[in-house]
Amino acid sequence: MELLECKHLCKEFDNKQILQDINLTIPKGKIIGLLGKNGAGKSTLIKLINDLLTPTSGEILINGENPGVSSKEIIAYLPERTYLDKEMTIKQAIKYFSEFYSNFDTEKAMKLLKDLNLDISKKISKMSKGMQEKLQLILVMSRKASIYILDEPLGGVDPATRDYILDTILSNFSEGASVIISTHLISDIERILDEIIFMDNGKIVLTSSADELRNKENSSIDEVFRRYFKC
Amino acid sequence: MLGKLLKYDLKWIYKVVVVFYILSFIFSIIGRTLGSIENSVIFSVVSKITFGFAIAMMASSIINCLMRLWSRFMKNLYKDESYLTHTLPIEKNTIYLSKVISAIICIFTTIVVILACLFICYYSETNMQALKGFLELAASTYNTTVLNLLLLVSIVILLEIIFIVLIGYIGIILGHKSNKRKMVKTVIIGFALYIITQIITLALIYILGLFNSSVMNLINTTDIINVDAIKTVMFYGVGIYIIYILFYNFLGKMAFQKGVDVE
Repeated sequence: MELLECKHLCKEFDNKQILQDINLTIPKGKIIGLLGKNGAGKSTLIKLINDLLTPTSGEILINGENPGVSSKEIIAYLPERTYLDKEMTIKQAIKYFSEFYSNFDTEKAMKLLKDLNLDISKKISKMSKGMQEKLQLILVMSRKASIYILDEPLGGVDPATRDYILDTILSNFSEGASVIISTHLISDIERILDEIIFMDNGKIVLTSSADELRNKENSSIDEVFRRYFKC
Repeated sequence: MLGKLLKYDLKWIYKVVVVFYILSFIFSIIGRTLGSIENSVIFSVVSKITFGFAIAMMASSIINCLMRLWSRFMKNLYKDESYLTHTLPIEKNTIYLSKVISAIICIFTTIVVILACLFICYYSETNMQALKGFLELAASTYNTTVLNLLLLVSIVILLEIIFIVLIGYIGIILGHKSNKRKMVKTVIIGFALYIITQIITLALIYILGLFNSSVMNLINTTDIINVDAIKTVMFYGVGIYIIYILFYNFLGKMAFQKGVDVE
């Protein structure tokens, strides 16, 4: 059984096709780059997998089941926006995660926060947007999940923070888990990718192993992407 | 999981509403204390002004309670925070139920606080005697006991407010099914549902009147009001509101369970 499967998945908004006939299989233990230009449908696909949108047609299967309680138990999702109640303190946010997610590792979260020198009694509303994003990343990566879905984790951050984010992802995801990273900043992540998925205009236009693609095209994935999506 | 959700929902709603509860109590106690100082025009005037503030705070408590309930529903289920709420390993039914139960609890506590503050403001031997006399008169007119009368009126008020909250929830759910002008659609749908339901209520009372001439007299004559007819309409009203609440709760649950499209 595949970890994640999308079968003929479509999503329409106001009669406009956002996703068209998406067929996708995500195996276990891989780091997958979901790559495409802005507006290609990456975030819509991720939202559908996370039950934040309802498919117009088609099916999503996670461990053989439709999105629901059991899929949410094994998916750790980092959205592109800050989703924590800003009135909470960091400590309260950790308590919230530990109460609702049985696979949340509080000790790991506290250790990662300590590395950042963050005062856990600080209110989230008093933190910079960058720090809020780091806090969310720590909360998500402190879960022992089977799939980590990270939507634009590198968007709008400086190169030093990008390194921190990538290191945090690489050193904290559970063994045997798959990681789906959606981004258009390919050069920063291509070194860590096992598989790539190119999306354009709501369709999957290419799926390949990262090494195979590099060998076949004799260039980096970033260069392949630039050629593929040249305006 | 329901208990945990309720804890966070109630905490968020009460964070502001409690401030109005406290202010209601403070103004009631100050007004009462100043009013008890005899032979002072100034204290008497200040006391009356303070009672005015107390009443304003009581009104704010119920308005804020409703606003916070709707605001929580929208923020938690359709705005940024929904990205967390909908990815928690919890059934959608449980999430919806938590919002409904928190609404019932908040409305109940607000009504209790308002009654307590009114008691602080206006309790006196003469006022209690007057109130008792009025209630006894009303109760005997309606051929019931004071306790039953108070219970019936309290139930009607509680049901009416819960019904308004649920209409708001349905408005938010249906308004957010669309992709454009979600807020405008939310308000229009909520308002339209309220008006339609009230028209249906009138229609049902008219139908009741077809089988009960004294009820029909309330609709098409200006004769002296028949107490039995009013009692019948009140009990009928309680029944209708319970059916509405169950129906709208079911409708909201079904619409919510079909899935959401967050912003």
